[in-house]
Amino acid sequence: MRTSVPIKVLAQMSCRNLWRHRRRNVMLLGAIVLAVAFVLLANSLLRGWQAQMLDTVVANLTGHVKVLAPGYRDDPSIQRGFELSADYQPAVPGLDGWTSRVRVPGVILSERDTRGVQLVGVDPAQELQISFLADVALEGEFLASPADRRVLIGAALAEQLETRIGRRIVLMTQGSDGRNREAGYRIAGIYRASSSSLEKVFVFTGREVLQSLLDSEAVTELSIRLTENGQRNQAKDVLQRQFSNQEASTWDELEPMAASMFRFVDTAMLIWFSIMMAALAFGLVNTLVTAVMERNRELGMLRAIGMQPGILLLQVVMESLMIVSLGVLLGIGFGVLAVHWLSEGIDLSQWTAGIESYYMGSLLVPVLLPYDILRVLGLSLLFGLLASAFPAWRAVRVEPLDAMRR
Amino acid sequence: MTRTSILVCLLLWLAVPVSAEEARALVAGAIDLTRGTTSYAKMSMQIHRPDWQRNSSLVAWTRGREDALIRFTAPAKDAGNATLKDDEKMWTFTPRLNRVIRLPYSLMAQSWAGSDFSYNDLSRTDNLLHDYRLSLVDSRQQDGHTVYTIEAVPHDDAPVVWGREVLVLRDDYVLLSHTFHDQDDLPLKRLEAMEIGEKGGRVFATRMRMVKLEEPDHWTEVNYDEVQFDVELEDGLFTVYSLRSGAGG
Repeated sequence: MRTSVPIKVLAQMSCRNLWRHRRRNVMLLGAIVLAVAFVLLANSLLRGWQAQMLDTVVANLTGHVKVLAPGYRDDPSIQRGFELSADYQPAVPGLDGWTSRVRVPGVILSERDTRGVQLVGVDPAQELQISFLADVALEGEFLASPADRRVLIGAALAEQLETRIGRRIVLMTQGSDGRNREAGYRIAGIYRASSSSLEKVFVFTGREVLQSLLDSEAVTELSIRLTENGQRNQAKDVLQRQFSNQEASTWDELEPMAASMFRFVDTAMLIWFSIMMAALAFGLVNTLVTAVMERNRELGMLRAIGMQPGILLLQVVMESLMIVSLGVLLGIGFGVLAVHWLSEGIDLSQWTAGIESYYMGSLLVPVLLPYDILRVLGLSLLFGLLASAFPAWRAVRVEPLDAMRR
Repeated sequence: MTRTSILVCLLLWLAVPVSAEEARALVAGAIDLTRGTTSYAKMSMQIHRPDWQRNSSLVAWTRGREDALIRFTAPAKDAGNATLKDDEKMWTFTPRLNRVIRLPYSLMAQSWAGSDFSYNDLSRTDNLLHDYRLSLVDSRQQDGHTVYTIEAVPHDDAPVVWGREVLVLRDDYVLLSHTFHDQDDLPLKRLEAMEIGEKGGRVFATRMRMVKLEEPDHWTEVNYDEVQFDVELEDGLFTVYSLRSGAGG
């Protein structure tokens, strides 16, 4: 297409056309700003949820990557453990923290109740670097060493068992020979985690203590925390090579439910974006079509004095893009302000019981990624371009003689 | 001080040998009494609750403290239900389901047949001797017997949830009561001898009651209607096969 009118003149004309109907166009601009700001805010809230989900899953003794013996996931027993040399150090890219644990199903008994739990033998120093135990409110004392012969139980479990710090409870589980093992332990501390289901499930004691109860030298898992979630597959490959007889898995393989929810959030963002933009589209197309129709005579005249249809088309598209891009930029500005205003987080503690199952904590902090801003920007402009197609086509189809006769 | 009061003091001092060995010997004696002996008994059991109660009849075979087979004979809906104990392991059989279930250890603290007895109450054998520190805290004369009160405090790493247990034992090893205290020293449940008599040529508690002390009016009573000791038992009586086949009943 050969342009006979310079772009500058065209832009000037578009500006003036928009200015001619200030009130209408400012309202349209407002709608765009509002829609984009909301999309961006919703986006960052969903991202915040996603980040929390990842945090929760990784901290709930999963880690980014975990090494388990084959078959442990179907039958978690000490027989499906593996030996780890005492001086083992994982050489994994992006390592943040790591630990090895003994984790077996067991039963905890008090004078008044009996509950099924997960017995977890930990190295307290390492555990504090990588799991949710670092963030819990603790009453009493933490375990001192892997040989600490006391236990740490959750507040909800302590309530069920009607027991407290300093009391003796009995742990029961299946030893490495398949026979029943049981022993009494004193409660060192009671922890309060973000969710009561965690508190009811995990009973911690020293790793060596649990190993001696089970009569085994083995551990059942090696859990690795990384600095970047994106490095997990690489870390998994490295670990798989180191432990050729065991199975290395990433958190999304270990927690498929959380992983699918994680992926769902990505889709949810697009769906939310589409709904907002579809609503906006009617407003935008309507305004542009009106603008074209009321300028029918004028457009016919321009055609008659020799303006090419391509230029006309370009001008309508330009008008649309101008108003959309101004709206989007302002919208992103307001969105960023809103996110900043909410950066303290939204307190959801009222609904804690209900949202736990969605891997949410009681505070939702929005997370704004540059990638998301660029995506909103790009998609909005693309959308502005598409929305102008129909009005532009209408403008091109104007018959000069018909238009001027009226 | 008169001469008689000195004598009484002396007698009391002699009668209260507060020693761990003494307590241990008493408990061991009580355990040894049943070691190696076989028995066959017809019993009735009454489960009592504030608003209802249930009576059932059962037969039981025992060999020492290790083996036991208990089978319900009445009421009709429970008849045939049976429990087998072989050392630490326990199985139950329900004829209506035709299934034998090996009891997981996690269920051992649960109630047996809806009564106030737990499976543990039935299955514990000589753990009093190795999981507890025993001491004799009192002894007194009663109905021509010396009655000893023995305190059993579990070792710190023992698989025992109780804070303390108190046994009252007669010099002929009849257990008069066994109280279980929690770790705040509140008594939670007590096994009491309601009647002591001679049956099958031996003197023992022929009627016993397990009382839940936190819930008033919750108790279960077991009454021995007929007992024979040192009976001939088939070799295969204490096996899962005989549990399933309804042997002995």
